[in-house]
Amino acid sequence: MLMIRAIIRPDKVGIVLSELSDGGFPAVTKMDVMGRGKQKGVKVGDVFYDEIPKEMLMMVVNDEDKDDVVKIIIKNAKTGQKAAFGDGKIFISPVLEAYTISSGDNQL
Amino acid sequence: MTEVMAIIRMDMISKTKEALLKANFPALSCMKVLGRGKKKVDFSLIENMLSGNDFTSPTIAEAFSEGHRLIPKRLLSIVVKDDEVKNLVDVIIAINQKGSPGDGKIFVMPVIETIRVRTGESGELAL
Repeated sequence: MLMIRAIIRPDKVGIVLSELSDGGFPAVTKMDVMGRGKQKGVKVGDVFYDEIPKEMLMMVVNDEDKDDVVKIIIKNAKTGQKAAFGDGKIFISPVLEAYTISSGDNQL
Repeated sequence: MTEVMAIIRMDMISKTKEALLKANFPALSCMKVLGRGKKKVDFSLIENMLSGNDFTSPTIAEAFSEGHRLIPKRLLSIVVKDDEVKNLVDVIIAINQKGSPGDGKIFVMPVIETIRVRTGESGELAL
């Protein structure tokens, strides 16, 4: 199992969530985060913002579903053909076990 | 070292914290998150509730119940030694299990390094 953590633009959350749902991956957890990237934030006029609001989507999937999920997120979280800075990042990390509390089952 | 990440019901947080304290897991981080699971939420219950009121039209109930709704949850993150994982998972399941969908999930993930900021010590010493 793999945990996929995607940090995306807040205005892309709606489309990404509905496309994930349509793609057969409804289970997701979302949280508000603030962050900056390699570009050290954004400069608007004279004001420098080094913490930009983003949304983090977190989902745990089976190994073979990883590519599909990543593809869906990238396709829908991108802004335009010329990908812009700040579209986000996707991090993937291993998960050893998953439990469903309601049944106590040791599976996803 | 292993991280145990649990997503539980909002109203179970105090009971869970109490149980974890008793089981000797005092350290935890928690945050409010929104999420949805594999199962579609049964919004017919909400519709029934709303249809009892004369001032709500069915269209409002429809709009309210449609789409991909996210439900508020609590996310706990606890980093423990490898041999404590089983015990911790059992404690969380025991206190949160009501037997209905939405009770939550627990994810167990490897942690490569832990460092205590105060002293700079690392590894299991820092847990």
